[in-house]
Amino acid sequence: MTAIGRDEPGAGTAAHGTGGHGHGGNIFDPELLDRCISCGFCLPACPTYALTKDEGSSPRGRITLMRALETGRLDPDDDRLRKEASFCLGCRACEPVCPAGVQYGHLLESWRDHQWRGRHRPPLAQVLMMVVERTPLVRLIGAVRRPARTRRPADGDVRTAGAGRAATNGRAPRPEQLTLMLGCFERGLFPGVSKAVQKLLPEISVPENQGCCGALHAHNGDSAGGVALAEKLGEELPGVIVTTAGGCAAHLAAVLGRDRVHELSEHLVKAGYEPVGEVTVDDGHGGRRRARVAIQDSCHLRNGLGVSAEPRALLGAVADFVPVAGDGSCCGSAGTYSLLRPRDARRVLDPKLDAVQTAGVDYVVAVNPGCLRQWQTGLARRKSRIRAVHLADLLAAAAAGRRLPTGLPIAARLPTVRLPSGMRVGRGFRLRKDAEAQNTDGWSA
Amino acid sequence: MSVDRSVIRELETIVGAEHVRTDPGDVEPYSRDATPAFRAVPDAVAWPGTAEEVAAILKLATSRRVPVIPRGAGSNLCAATVAERGGIVVVLTRMDKILEVSADELLARVETGVSTAALADTAAAQGLLYAPDPGSRTVSTVGGNVAMCAGGLRGLKYGVTRNYVLGTTVVLPTGEIMKTGGRLWKDVAGYDLTRLLTGSEGTLGVLTELTVALLPMPATSNTGVAYFPTLADAGRAVDAIIGHGIVPATLEFLDAKCIGAVEQYARLGLRDDAGALLLFGDDGAQDVVDRNLERIGEQCTATGAMEVTLAENIARAQALLEARRCSLPALSRLGTMTILEDATVPRPRLAEMVDRIDAIAHAHDVPVATFGHAGDGNLHPTIVVDQHDDAAIKRAHEAFGEVFKAAISMDGTITGEHGVGAAKLPYLIDRLGADQMALLRRIKAAFDPAGILNPGKLGS
Repeated sequence: MTAIGRDEPGAGTAAHGTGGHGHGGNIFDPELLDRCISCGFCLPACPTYALTKDEGSSPRGRITLMRALETGRLDPDDDRLRKEASFCLGCRACEPVCPAGVQYGHLLESWRDHQWRGRHRPPLAQVLMMVVERTPLVRLIGAVRRPARTRRPADGDVRTAGAGRAATNGRAPRPEQLTLMLGCFERGLFPGVSKAVQKLLPEISVPENQGCCGALHAHNGDSAGGVALAEKLGEELPGVIVTTAGGCAAHLAAVLGRDRVHELSEHLVKAGYEPVGEVTVDDGHGGRRRARVAIQDSCHLRNGLGVSAEPRALLGAVADFVPVAGDGSCCGSAGTYSLLRPRDARRVLDPKLDAVQTAGVDYVVAVNPGCLRQWQTGLARRKSRIRAVHLADLLAAAAAGRRLPTGLPIAARLPTVRLPSGMRVGRGFRLRKDAEAQNTDGWSA
Repeated sequence: MSVDRSVIRELETIVGAEHVRTDPGDVEPYSRDATPAFRAVPDAVAWPGTAEEVAAILKLATSRRVPVIPRGAGSNLCAATVAERGGIVVVLTRMDKILEVSADELLARVETGVSTAALADTAAAQGLLYAPDPGSRTVSTVGGNVAMCAGGLRGLKYGVTRNYVLGTTVVLPTGEIMKTGGRLWKDVAGYDLTRLLTGSEGTLGVLTELTVALLPMPATSNTGVAYFPTLADAGRAVDAIIGHGIVPATLEFLDAKCIGAVEQYARLGLRDDAGALLLFGDDGAQDVVDRNLERIGEQCTATGAMEVTLAENIARAQALLEARRCSLPALSRLGTMTILEDATVPRPRLAEMVDRIDAIAHAHDVPVATFGHAGDGNLHPTIVVDQHDDAAIKRAHEAFGEVFKAAISMDGTITGEHGVGAAKLPYLIDRLGADQMALLRRIKAAFDPAGILNPGKLGS
C-alpha cells in the first residue's frame, strides 16, 4: 500500500517527542509541518541543494529535519539542525513550485525562533536587530545620508499619520493615502532610491518618523518581534505603504494584509504609471544606444507575493529587457545572509555573475536594497563594467533624461585596505571580518 | 549503529571522507523517499563519484554483509529507497553528466544521476525527443527512472522507460562493472539483461551509465480537454477513440474531486460541474495533429461529452499537462493522509474498473478520488483520510486490498508504473504466484549472493 501522507506525529502526538531527547515539540505549527508529502518537487528550485546535492540542504530534507526536531528524534542542538537553519537562504523559491502548498517561509521562521533562541543567534544579527528596533537610531541613519522627505509642514505629517491610524483600523484605507517606507538600511545605503520614488510619485508622503518593518527580526529567529515592529510601522505609515524593498513588502503584507502594502513596481503598474524616456549608453562609436538591462527578482516579492511581471514590464519600457537564466533565483543577499555567511552568499551569486556577463548587459536592475548591495559588491569584486541599479533609479533617470553611471565604479578602482586585526575596510559599505576568516558555520566549506 | 566503524573508515577511503555522512542529523533526511508512510534511518550515506567507487563500495558491502540502498532523487512512490534494514544509502546524484547526444544515431549516453528534465531539455535543444515523461521528471534521475521503469503521460503512443533503454553500465553487488546492451536496436546476443535491470528497483545491480534512445522532435503538439458527466462516460470515450484507430500521445483522466484539487492549485479555469475530465493530446505534423484532435473531439461528443475545447496556445497546453502531473500532491490538500494506488487493467475494462473502485470505496465508507492514464488503463485511485482516524485508515487499506483483487481478476496488475518497493511486496505474490516469486529469488541470488542490495524489496 502506498500511503502518501503525514505519518509524522502532529499536534496530538508531539508530546511523545519528549521521550526522545526531552526537548522536542511545540516548535512548529503541526498543520504547516503536515502539509509536506515529501514529493521532492522543491529540490530543483532550491539554491542550496544545487550547491550541495545533499537532501539535508533541500526544502524536503529540511522539513524532515524539522519533523525530527519536533518529535524529539534529533537533539534540539543537533549540529546539522543548527547548520541547516542557518544555511537555508530563506528565499522561498520552494513555495511556488510546491503543489501541496507548504508554507516553508513560516516553517523556517519557527525553526529559527528555536535554533537562534537567546545566545544562539549570530551576534551580528543581534546587533543589527538591536539597532533597527530603535527608531531614533534608524532616523539617525537617515539624518546622515539624507533620503527623501516630504516637503510639507511637519504638522501636516502628523495629521496624516493620525488620520491613517484611525482610518486603517480594520477598514480599507482611503485611496489618496500613500506613504513611502524608507527602509532602515536603504535610507543609509541607497538614499537616492527614495528620492527617485518621489520623482516618480510626487504625491507620495514620506513621514520621517518611521522605524523598521521587522523583516530582519522575523528572518533571524524573532518572529514575534517581527510582527510587533510591522504593526508599529503600520501605525506610523498611514494608508497604502509603498516600499522599494521586496523583502520588507512580503513581511509587511503578511502582518498588515496584502491590500495595505504595495511594492514599488506593483504600485506603479496598479496606478497606471507609464514609464517615460529611455536609458541609453555609449555605443562605442560616438553615439548612444538603448541600454541592455537584466533583472534580479526579489525572492520574497516573487515567491511570497507573486510579483515578477511588473518590474520586467516597467524596465522593458525604458530599456531593452534581457531575460537571463536564473534571474528569478536568489542572489545570495537573502536579508542578513550575505553578512552572516559571506562565502555561501558568493557561491550563490557567482553563476549569476557569469550569466549576466555572458548575456552582455549594461545594467542589472534590483527591486530590493539587499540584492542591490549584493550585486554591486559582486560586480565590483570582478571589476565588471556592468552596473547594478535600483528600478526606481532606472525609471527616474529615464524620465529625467539623465544618464546613469557606466563602467567601473570609482570604489572598485580603489585598493582594499587591510587592517592588522584581520578586519578590512573594503569597497563601499563593507566593514567586516575577512570572509575567509569568518567561516560562520563551516558546513559549506 | 549496526554498521561497524571499520566499514565506515573503508567507505571514507573509497569515496573520500567528505562524501560520507553518519551523524544522526546528516542521515535523517535519507530516512524516506516520496513514500512518507515508510521511514527508516540508514546507518550511513555515501556519494560515490565514479563506477569504480560504486564497485569498491559494493565489494566492501558484500564482504561485510552490509545492506546498500541505491538512490537517485528519492522521488519514487513505493518506498523503494527506504533503508528498512539499515545500511548504506548510496546517492548517485554526483554522477550527473550528459556524456553524449547523437542526432545521427538518435541516442544519448548519460551518467545515472542526471535529471530526467535535464536530459529531455538537452535533447530538445538538438531537435530530439526523450519520450519517457514521468510526472516527477523535474526531480527524478534517469538512473532512477530506469531502475523503476518509470511510466508517465506519454505511455500510450510512446511506451514507457523500458522502451528507450538501449544499454547500461551496471555494477554488480560482487563488484564487477559490466556493460549490457549498447548502441543498437538489434542485438540478441545473450539474455536481455538490459530489460531485466530495467525495473529491477535497485535489487540486482547499481546502474551508473545509461544509453537511451531518442526520437526526432515532433513538429508540433496540442492538447485539449473534454468534460463528461461521469468517469465511466470518459472511459467509454477512450474506448471509442482508440477503437477508431487513433493513438494519441496523451489520454489522461481526472474525476470530479481531482479536478477540484488541481483547479485550486493551478487556477486553470477548469469546470467544476463535471464528473470527469479527459485530457487528450497528440504530436506530429501539424495537419495530422489537427485532424486527430478533431476526431478525438468528435468521439468525445458522440459518447456524451458536456464540452470539448482545444488549448488555444502552447503555454495553455503546457499548463494543462503540468496540472495533470501535480494531481497527486494537489489532492493531498484535501486531507491529512493521502493513500494512493496504481492498479492497472486492460484499457477496454477501464470504465468497468472505475465503477468497481467506486463500489468498493462506497462499501468501505471511504472517499475515493481517481485520476490516471486512461490510454494505458493505469488508474491512480486515491483515498484521502484524517491521519488520526485509525479506523478510516484501516478501511482504506481494506478497500485497496479489494481493488488489487479486482484488478487481478480483470487481467490487470497491482502496480502499473510506481513499482513494488517495500510498499507492495506483500501483494506481489497475488500477481505473480509462488513459482514466479521463487524464480525472482533465484535471479536475485544469482546477481547478489550475499543479499546486500536493497534487501526487503523485490526478490526478497
